[in-house]
Amino acid sequence: MIAVSIKNLKKNFRLTHSGQISLKQAALSFRRRKPDVVEAIRGISFDIDQGETVAVIGRNGSGKSTLLGVCGKIYRPTSGEVIVNGRISTLLDLGAGFHPDLTGIENIYLYGAILGMSRKEINARMDNIVGFAELEDFIDAPIRTYSAGMTMRLGFSIAVQVDPNVLLVDEVLAVGDESFQLKCYDKVRQFQEAGKTIIFVSHDMEAVRKVATRVIWMHYGVIRMDGEVDHVLEAYHKSSERKTEEQ
Amino acid sequence: MLQELKELYKYRELIVNLVIRDLKVRYKNSAIGFLWSLANPIIQAATITVIFKFVLEIKIPNYSAYLFCAYLVWGFFYYSVLDACDSVLLHGGLVKKTYFPREVMPISVCISNLIHFCLAMVVFFLYVILYLRAPVLVTWLMLPVLIFIQFLYHLGLAFFMSCANVFYEDVKYMAMAFLNLVFYAMPVIYPIEKVYYSKFVPGPYKELVYYLYMLNPLSYLITAYRKTLLEPMNVKDFPDFALNYGFLGLALVVSLFFCIAGYAFFNSRKWQFVEKL
Repeated sequence: MIAVSIKNLKKNFRLTHSGQISLKQAALSFRRRKPDVVEAIRGISFDIDQGETVAVIGRNGSGKSTLLGVCGKIYRPTSGEVIVNGRISTLLDLGAGFHPDLTGIENIYLYGAILGMSRKEINARMDNIVGFAELEDFIDAPIRTYSAGMTMRLGFSIAVQVDPNVLLVDEVLAVGDESFQLKCYDKVRQFQEAGKTIIFVSHDMEAVRKVATRVIWMHYGVIRMDGEVDHVLEAYHKSSERKTEEQ
Repeated sequence: MLQELKELYKYRELIVNLVIRDLKVRYKNSAIGFLWSLANPIIQAATITVIFKFVLEIKIPNYSAYLFCAYLVWGFFYYSVLDACDSVLLHGGLVKKTYFPREVMPISVCISNLIHFCLAMVVFFLYVILYLRAPVLVTWLMLPVLIFIQFLYHLGLAFFMSCANVFYEDVKYMAMAFLNLVFYAMPVIYPIEKVYYSKFVPGPYKELVYYLYMLNPLSYLITAYRKTLLEPMNVKDFPDFALNYGFLGLALVVSLFFCIAGYAFFNSRKWQFVEKL
């Protein structure tokens, strides 16, 4: 079964100049004005089967995060189509929905609701969330007293409890200390064994080799290569080396 | 639009959670907590009473109650609109990182202001019954209807303002300036009858000016609150009008129109928020 299907997807961003530009500036920059539209994704198509773990790699600004954003319904495509079967959970930024003055428990309800869980579902998973985040002793304290790592751990624990069919992860697997990272990888493996689909963006090639079953290499908004992990990683590595030598 | 409403319904628990968060956060670090929601109207009532009863010595019996009533309704409107302006901007981080129906932001702001208004109304009724010893009226039963109409109006404005404020942050400052002016264009500090009986409006235009007033749903709502919650003023110079259900119906229609138009406006632009924030 196909979990995610992307057909001829394009996403443009309009550049917005913040603040007022003085007349002088406007006149001076008239000739070398940047184009007003940035094409972040320029027409890509692919299907992802249920149960695949796809790593999206590529240099900065290649459109990886935009791709995840479009899949997670945060951006609406400029043209083309994205079809996702089943519930999605996004791990794009852990704890974006937390309020610093609320306690851990209160934030679990809030963030859970943002991710689309009902109160009943959250209650049923409460012990798991708190246990996984290893925050039993601090859960009644306001989040602002937490360390950065603790906040991230709580965010991750909530997001993985959504029980999604498709999990989108943006560069966040490296949260917490080593023991928590191991737990995260364990969780990813559990997801894989349960037949869930994972799409993640990473610059950590070690992580990609460890968990991915397929790699998509994006380059300036198009797919440069799509296929088996070692094969794509090798080509990507070579290209990066060549780039460094040129400089 | 039906599709959007269905999606919104799925996220109803998020609205509840955002409202709870709003209420909890507002007084989180204060000693008396939510009692502040009651303290503010109490202070208002005391000030109004002292000024109008003892300083200005206005002879109309219980004039302070008419003012207090209108003032609370005005405050409900004022804070709903202003808070709504910020609602999407404040959640910028969330909008960029997660999907949820964007309309929950202005809606939850309107609901938490509604709850504050209900608390303030408790103070109002205590003031009327315990301090003024005014009678309990059957027309108090109308209160939920009035609140409902006003809430629809707020929702509509909130959709417009919160959306527009994402694209031009001037909207909030314009709203602030405009609201302070509009305050005088609504029968808050004066009764609506004063407008009709004004010596400065020539006879033939009396009706016109009066009807223009009624185009703003809030003008008649403020009047309706007064007429249903308090006894008639009984002043010779400007005899009280009876509660006009036609105007109330008009207020409902206009509010409903604002609500639907605002929702459509918001929905047609909500996908651009993430790129502007």
